[in-house]
Amino acid sequence: MSEHIVTRYDDELKDVQRRIAEMGGMAERLVDLSVRALTRLDTTMANSVIADDRRLDQVQRECEELAIMIIARRQPMALDLREVIGAMRISNDLERIGDLAKNIAKRVLALDGQFQSKRFITGVEHMAELSLAQLKDVLDAYAARDVNQAFEVWRRDADIDSMYTSLFRELLTYMMEDPRNITLCTHLLFCAKNIERIGDHATNIAETVHYVVTGEALTQDRPKQDESSVTSVSYETR
Amino acid sequence: MMQTAVAPNALPEKISIKNLKFFYGENLALKSINLPLYEKKVTAFIGPSGCGKSTLLRVLNRMYDLYPKQHAEGEVLFDGGNILAPGQDLNLLRARIGMVFQKPTPFPMSIYDNIAFGIRLYENLSRSEMDERVEAALTRGALWNEVKDKLNSSGLSLSGGQQQRLCIARSIAVRPEVVLFDEPCSALDPISTSKIEELIDELTADYTIAIVTHNMQQAARVSDYTAFMYLGELIEFDETSKIFTAPGDKRTQDYITGRFG
Repeated sequence: MSEHIVTRYDDELKDVQRRIAEMGGMAERLVDLSVRALTRLDTTMANSVIADDRRLDQVQRECEELAIMIIARRQPMALDLREVIGAMRISNDLERIGDLAKNIAKRVLALDGQFQSKRFITGVEHMAELSLAQLKDVLDAYAARDVNQAFEVWRRDADIDSMYTSLFRELLTYMMEDPRNITLCTHLLFCAKNIERIGDHATNIAETVHYVVTGEALTQDRPKQDESSVTSVSYETR
Repeated sequence: MMQTAVAPNALPEKISIKNLKFFYGENLALKSINLPLYEKKVTAFIGPSGCGKSTLLRVLNRMYDLYPKQHAEGEVLFDGGNILAPGQDLNLLRARIGMVFQKPTPFPMSIYDNIAFGIRLYENLSRSEMDERVEAALTRGALWNEVKDKLNSSGLSLSGGQQQRLCIARSIAVRPEVVLFDEPCSALDPISTSKIEELIDELTADYTIAIVTHNMQQAARVSDYTAFMYLGELIEFDETSKIFTAPGDKRTQDYITGRFG
């Protein structure tokens, strides 16, 4: 895209985009760290996630202020308007992703000293890998303004949803096997829900990328695979 | 090349411009324009200086007839009849298609007579009927409350914004069907501009409106449809909401986002 006649306008738009890139990197790091903290039950790492989330919140506020200033000063139109609106939406999603990572980190602190069995955590870890990959892809799609890549992310969210449903069943089964697993598995269930939500935010970002590039909303209904709300596991007495 | 206008709900066309060409002497200023003006809708014309948007507006009430070396080809259908046809009654045409200019142009006479002057050309009204018509026009022009106590003062004694509303009241006093605005707010302060825009909103209940403006935000605010013109060509015509959020042509996008080199 060629440049504006007013150079400052370009600088301001680039400033917003730089902040989104910065937030994207921070959000990825926080999610990664929070899941590693969980799998290792590492409270130091968990504490650093909680502390770093504040920085993400701050950049989000800066980004929003910049976007508001552009709207007030430049009255952006067409592509520029979509860029600014897109930046505001994406910064919100990234800020929420940071909060979800922080929530996982808090669970790690709550789990401190709990009995740990690797097999309980594998499923959550695997789901986190998928969510992280989605986040990374959608940030790449945003950076390259690549609608196809964004659409792929959007479509793949169904995988995370169905993984969440099966993880829900699995954790429920562990709880039935031995009531002493209930505390850990409940915490893990919340972590899994947080990770599933992170995937949803990646999907939101994909929708925003689609809007920024094409000017049209992705209106198709996304196939919903999260069936945990209607899932039950039958209790068999052994 | 040009994005074809979509009329999803097939709105009635008050004016249909077909293959319109316009010449200033040898110079081709409009290159085969095709465009509808939908009834009781506001159509905005935008584009850089010299793109032909004011020229197009001037064709719509045959303003160019005043200048011997200018002529138009093609058709402009107004309720089905071609207004470019030689037999066209120009006075009647200009009563049916009113025009408001960039600079307010009140006649050097009283506020009352500014309004009554045009009506007297077409109708023979009693004093009380005329009073009613003048009041109605000034009310419609959102000026009545400001001038009702000084109807005999000169129209030139009003502020720029008031003068412009007086001109709008004057053009609607003769009950036109279409009102053309050629940059009606470019000489006005923001408050007067808002009053004119409010007025345009109200006028769409009864009139078909075309407005030329250099203020992109104004086009976005007041119009239902927008036409982007460049170098005598119509580049894109679409719903205003589409033009200003996701235009189809790169030249439109460059222009409205301030990238035109």
